[in-house]
Amino acid sequence: MSDNQAPQAPKAMRGVGNFIDDRFHLAKMGEKNLRKVFPNHWSFMLGEIALYSFIILLLSGVFLTLWFNPSMGHIVYDGSYERLRGVGMSEAYASTLHITFDVRGGLLMRQIHHWAALIFVASLVIHMLRVFFTGAFRKPREINWLIGVAIFTLAIVEGLFGYSLPDDLPSGMGLRIFQGVLLALPLIGTYASFYLFGGEFPGEVIIPRLYSLHILVIPAILLALIAAHFMILWHQKHTQYPGTGRTEKKVVGTPMFPAFAIKAGGFFFFTFAVIVGLSAFVQINPIHLFGPFTPTSITAGLQPDWYMGFLEGSLRIFPNWFDITIAGYAIPMGVLIPGLGFMGILFGGLAAWPFVEAWITGDKRPHNLADRPRNAPVRTGLGAAGITFYGLLWLAGSNDILSHTFEISLYTTTWIFRIGIFVGPVIAYIITKRICLGMQRRDRETLEHGYESGTIAQLPGGEFVEVHKESSPETVHVLESKESMTPRIETPAANANGVESPASRSLMGKLRARLADWYTRDNISFVGVEPHSGHHLHHGSHNGDGPTHGVQGSENGHGGSTASDKVTQGAGQNK
Amino acid sequence: MKWITARRRHPLAGYVVVIIALAFFGVGYTFVAPATSPAQAQNASAESDLANVDLANGRELFNQSCASCHGQDGKGITKTEAGNAGAWGPDLTGVGAAAVDFQVSTGRMPSANPDAQMPRKPAMYGRDDINDIAAYVDAQFGGGPGIPVNVPGDKPKRADFESEADYEEATELYQSSLEQYTGGGDTEAGMKLYMTNCAHCHSWSGGGGALTDGRWAPDLNSATPRQIYEAMLTGPGAMPVFQDSNDEVGGEGGAISSSEKQSLIKFIVDLENEPNAGGYFGLNRVGQVAEGFIGWTVGISLIVACAIWITAKQRAHD
Repeated sequence: MSDNQAPQAPKAMRGVGNFIDDRFHLAKMGEKNLRKVFPNHWSFMLGEIALYSFIILLLSGVFLTLWFNPSMGHIVYDGSYERLRGVGMSEAYASTLHITFDVRGGLLMRQIHHWAALIFVASLVIHMLRVFFTGAFRKPREINWLIGVAIFTLAIVEGLFGYSLPDDLPSGMGLRIFQGVLLALPLIGTYASFYLFGGEFPGEVIIPRLYSLHILVIPAILLALIAAHFMILWHQKHTQYPGTGRTEKKVVGTPMFPAFAIKAGGFFFFTFAVIVGLSAFVQINPIHLFGPFTPTSITAGLQPDWYMGFLEGSLRIFPNWFDITIAGYAIPMGVLIPGLGFMGILFGGLAAWPFVEAWITGDKRPHNLADRPRNAPVRTGLGAAGITFYGLLWLAGSNDILSHTFEISLYTTTWIFRIGIFVGPVIAYIITKRICLGMQRRDRETLEHGYESGTIAQLPGGEFVEVHKESSPETVHVLESKESMTPRIETPAANANGVESPASRSLMGKLRARLADWYTRDNISFVGVEPHSGHHLHHGSHNGDGPTHGVQGSENGHGGSTASDKVTQGAGQNK
Repeated sequence: MKWITARRRHPLAGYVVVIIALAFFGVGYTFVAPATSPAQAQNASAESDLANVDLANGRELFNQSCASCHGQDGKGITKTEAGNAGAWGPDLTGVGAAAVDFQVSTGRMPSANPDAQMPRKPAMYGRDDINDIAAYVDAQFGGGPGIPVNVPGDKPKRADFESEADYEEATELYQSSLEQYTGGGDTEAGMKLYMTNCAHCHSWSGGGGALTDGRWAPDLNSATPRQIYEAMLTGPGAMPVFQDSNDEVGGEGGAISSSEKQSLIKFIVDLENEPNAGGYFGLNRVGQVAEGFIGWTVGISLIVACAIWITAKQRAHD
């Protein structure tokens, strides 16, 4: 692969290349970066979906700004959509109708923009879940995790503002709820609402204001954050799953150019195809059917877009039992806690987790190898509990649709969700942790005894046994990578003379020791397990030793596979 | 068998078995499940003259199908009076012909279970019989709002006609009366009235929605203009009454005038007939919940499947 052996480029191209290289010295940088290696796994592509849908959002959004008129000026519609001719509406809504029915490709572009937004936030969620469950947020990547949380938060706000711009029925209803939460703020609520809306709801200024935030300020911040996210990723290298040749200091994967670039480019077009396919065939946000918003309009059956669903749900199921009045001023806890508190729990919890986990485990080492989720059962269980909590709130946001569709009483759904958000996460935590531990036991079993070959053999004594075979070296590598999870709190509980150290005597110290114990206690120890040392392998008998519990099944050791010849080794050195 | 033996340890085999089992039970259930009772025969021609009602027939039908719950005298039977029989029903004094026509022509009455909200069903009686019962109830138990005969009612059904030509003629007549009726209203007024008074239960699309205490607001798109009009006049179930402004009954009057009702009905009919401009799949006009569901189940799932595909490597053999 030496450059000397590469065929010479045509003279004209060489001239241009040399001209640029003489001035910018790009060749060296290009060689280094084009050969950068990316680990190969489907779950490492999820963030790319977000990047691609963001690009699609930017492009389709620019198209829409060419015709959209962010004005709340009142006009009577006189466009080509017959049903609403002669109806009074805002210029924002009328221009959205114009884009829909009079601009060539306008409706498709609107639908692309909206579907891409749904896909964008959804891909952020699954990307974040992947990072969480594989522990890829650990040192040295905490800052990038925080940037990711910021992107997620801003994306939701950006979506809410975009949803509010067309001034159709759901726009206005969404804004009304937004204003309601604003009003619930103690002391400053009324002022904040009047300031934002320039007077009473809905006023005449909110759409122009949201417009400049939606098309300028927030996208610019998002773009900057995404750029920072990528630069840090590039600098720190991607995490990888354990396997042959993969260490904390060496990345195994596909080189950036040409293989990964082609793959990523193809993936962009696939993402684009799915979004355009949806936009062409599946109607989304039919503003012409909704009609314009007026302050007296209110309707059942309208929801925010899915990413606001958990907030909608928390507002719907939260009781008014805690509303209080102080000196004649109402403090509507039934709006404050679900409207702002739950959002705080979600984003605050996400942002704090890397630091909380590092504090509990006392783990200050850098990690470039991703955890297999089963090997961190408490974290995985907590993640499942979080998904359940979020998911139930999200479902509660559509309780009227669920009630109507499945013919369940509305009040019943409210109580199902009220109880469910307490019980569900606990059950999810317990089940997930048990599954993880079961998989760990299965892993240890496989490591010691090899895999079940499905071949039944008869022993000379007449006994039938299933022959176990040795796992591939790759599988052995993956299984051996599990580190023994012992707490690494660096302050010893007691010094040489048996005196408790002040740090572990303090309240926080005790809490931390307890948490560390909880975090690691149930983990299955792999200490002293030698690959293929179990005696199933040698005389295939099931009598006795070794843990035989755990999940039995035909699933192969996933993540383990032989390195194919297109995989290039090397290139990644961590400083 | 060899084919199965070779594949039964495939990593996807378990999923395939589950899918086949689910499909088996799903399809099997549709055969085993009790079929809904077929619609009763309709013996009516399209529109009959309300002047020709047969009060005797009305009385007979009332005693047959209504009196067991509403009482021979129409004063109703309370739950305690009904006792274990469970056949109780409200007082019909002053409900009028419109209420009877609404309840019977939408199939809600006669009802099998008075304790639950009645769903829309195929009507048990034809047009003539309904008119007879309505006239009997109106005459016998004190008058109320009459059937709004100028509002387009039942769409003609093929089964009610001897020949294709008669049916087509009736359909044409119905269409022209519908067009004439909905052509007259004012969209903006209708939209405002709908959004202020109707949408918070029946939803923006007319698709209906959930209400408190296990009740629900029904789908408006399966109702005829006349049934919508009658519902406004009589306020069935949890629905409030919206009288015509020239009504003397009730004294207050004037909630929504008959021309405003016309605009309102025009809005509902127009919205229902409006094509889904955004694509072949209108998602039943459920809105954002369906969109989010599709975004996750179709959108993200397809893209992730592609990610799995392009990063796939040959599996190790263990």
